Amino acid sequence: MAHTTSTRVQAHIGDPVSAKPPVPRGKLEEIFKDIQSDLRYDHELNGCLNCGICTATCPAAHYYDFSPREIVQLLWTENLEGIFDAMQEKIWACAQCYTCAARCPFGNSPGGLIMLMRETAIKHEMESAKAVLRPFSRVMLKLISTGNQLAPDMITPEHFPDWGPNVSKIDAPLKLLRKAIPMPTLNTTATAWEVNLKTSVELYTIWEETGVLKQLEGIDQNLFDVIADIMDEKREDWKDYLADQEDEKDE
Amino acid sequence: MDEQSTGNERFTGHGAEWRDSKLKSEDARIATSWVEQKIDRRSMQTGKDRVEDVRDIMWQLEKDGEIVVHRVCDGHEPVMVKTLYGWDKKIPTRRLWHHKSCGQCGNIPGYPASLLWLMNRLGVEYLDETDQTSCTAWNYHGSGIGNLESLAAVFLRNFHQAYVAARAQGLPDGYYYPLVHCGTSFGNYKEVRGYLLRSAKLREGVRNILGKLGRLVDGKLLIPEEVVHYSEWLHVMRDRIAATQEIDCSRIRATIHPACHVYKMVPEDAVYDDAILGGNRVAVSTGIMEALGAQVIDYSTWYDCCGFGFRHIISEREFTRSFAIDRKVRVAVEEARADVMIGHDTGCITTLDKNQWISKAGGAGKGVELAILADCQFAALVCGAHPYKIVQTHWHASPTETLMEKLGIAWQTKKSEFMSYLDEVKAGKQENLYDPRRMITSGPGFIPIAKRV
Repeated sequence: MAHTTSTRVQAHIGDPVSAKPPVPRGKLEEIFKDIQSDLRYDHELNGCLNCGICTATCPAAHYYDFSPREIVQLLWTENLEGIFDAMQEKIWACAQCYTCAARCPFGNSPGGLIMLMRETAIKHEMESAKAVLRPFSRVMLKLISTGNQLAPDMITPEHFPDWGPNVSKIDAPLKLLRKAIPMPTLNTTATAWEVNLKTSVELYTIWEETGVLKQLEGIDQNLFDVIADIMDEKREDWKDYLADQEDEKDE
Repeated sequence: MDEQSTGNERFTGHGAEWRDSKLKSEDARIATSWVEQKIDRRSMQTGKDRVEDVRDIMWQLEKDGEIVVHRVCDGHEPVMVKTLYGWDKKIPTRRLWHHKSCGQCGNIPGYPASLLWLMNRLGVEYLDETDQTSCTAWNYHGSGIGNLESLAAVFLRNFHQAYVAARAQGLPDGYYYPLVHCGTSFGNYKEVRGYLLRSAKLREGVRNILGKLGRLVDGKLLIPEEVVHYSEWLHVMRDRIAATQEIDCSRIRATIHPACHVYKMVPEDAVYDDAILGGNRVAVSTGIMEALGAQVIDYSTWYDCCGFGFRHIISEREFTRSFAIDRKVRVAVEEARADVMIGHDTGCITTLDKNQWISKAGGAGKGVELAILADCQFAALVCGAHPYKIVQTHWHASPTETLMEKLGIAWQTKKSEFMSYLDEVKAGKQENLYDPRRMITSGPGFIPIAKRV
């Protein structure tokens, strides 16, 4: 009987009755090494007796096929296939509340370990990570290009129909409502607060130097291109400003 | 003789291997009280001996000449509080640099506005400026885009700006002390500070980056003595705030939602007070509500998160709204009969506030409604702040009007006043909490003091 790989999970774990490994051993080792080499790894993983306190208090475990205990066990026992499998979907269920970390008698941080796995999923440009993050791209665009993660113009009834009709209880243009906030830094609509041009330019340097732009390029080329254009434009503006300052000095 | 052979059925749910301990009642009481002590009274205290205070490492690194510490000095008029293990933490009360929250400013602007209004009322000097980024941790926790080095560089960059910001006013470095508004920023910055202090490799990496940005002090990294959340400021100022109270709130039944990233991340730094709920809950928010005279009502799911989930609130909202409704709002309404739920973090307030309308989809009798406010918004409201001009309740989807009615606030009148005020705003006559010229400290738009009219 022929086995098809019609589902996403099957595509990643392969044919369960085939002798051929779906992912080469070397690749699995490389992925685990990336997780394990993060300097936080030893701080976040100290041991595990399978007590399950983490899962008992985990909000995501209420609603998803997800267990922080399982994640810790996979890492603790260095179950490379299981780790790879969990990185396809399960790690994205975690709500990052760190309740597990606060309760673990061993001082583990399952939530922290999940972040190392998410970073690694992105580094390896996993298709599952790309699919999961596609709807999150608005936040990434806003953050990487402006330094703000959320802006008033992102909160619209079209984007949040389940929030109901009371998202704004006063019927007035957004720009006017923002002007009526008594903090002058907040009289903005495209960013949460007015961001100094110098601030944005400094942030771009941080993105470049720490490899964040490379991460983004690997996960969403189109988004990267858009952000690169915005960055170029703002850097030009900053150069112009500095040149104007020099001119003023000379005068 | 076991229970089964006597014919007395027992359903323990523990499985076949379970055996009764057969303790005498006195021994059972001792055992139970031991468990209660460990679980109810900060179960994490059992691990105290294994937890290091990173501030010890910090002072040693400064002594070794590797870092500079931005101190909470006398000019910041600090108040000392106790943290989880009884350690001291200095909370500055004056000369504060507001490190804003993108979620608060973008979505619930009455949150920071109420805080600044309270500071004005108490004569607290502060700076709200444009030269700051988000902590970037919402995006990081949601997407995995970012890394420890980027988080650390952003932390050091923003805190360096707080250190030098007063130069624009002709004041010395370190004049202002950073006050972090967002709970996630607070947790993230503390976690990152810990890693920076422990890892020479991380310090070396970010030192190069901060050097390129011109954000070193004498060639060294600048580390804050304390990372301070606004709710801690509110907590230590609670009696002074209550002294200016104008509206009685003793009829209000308030539930508190403690924010995960405020007390579950780096828990050893969270503030506890034996006089507040017996020291069994983080003290912030509960402290100010009790000082204002509200009834703080406990509820069974106090420990749960709000359901925000970082990525989930954007792209997996079934989880977010289900958790917010069933584990938080419904419990507060049905079990605690609450009039309001009070929080101290951006994502929690947003999640709990916005996700109530959809509960009506559950059918008749399934809808739940509960006013959601941040602690500083509630404090400002009962101290006489305008519900729309300052507390900006119109950005809240939850029924804040019901709460205001119970407080005796004529919200319809206040709303009409605000509608008239919008006409003045249109004409460019908006009222501000501070001089707008202070908000730009360098770059385009900066007006040096000498040139200010």
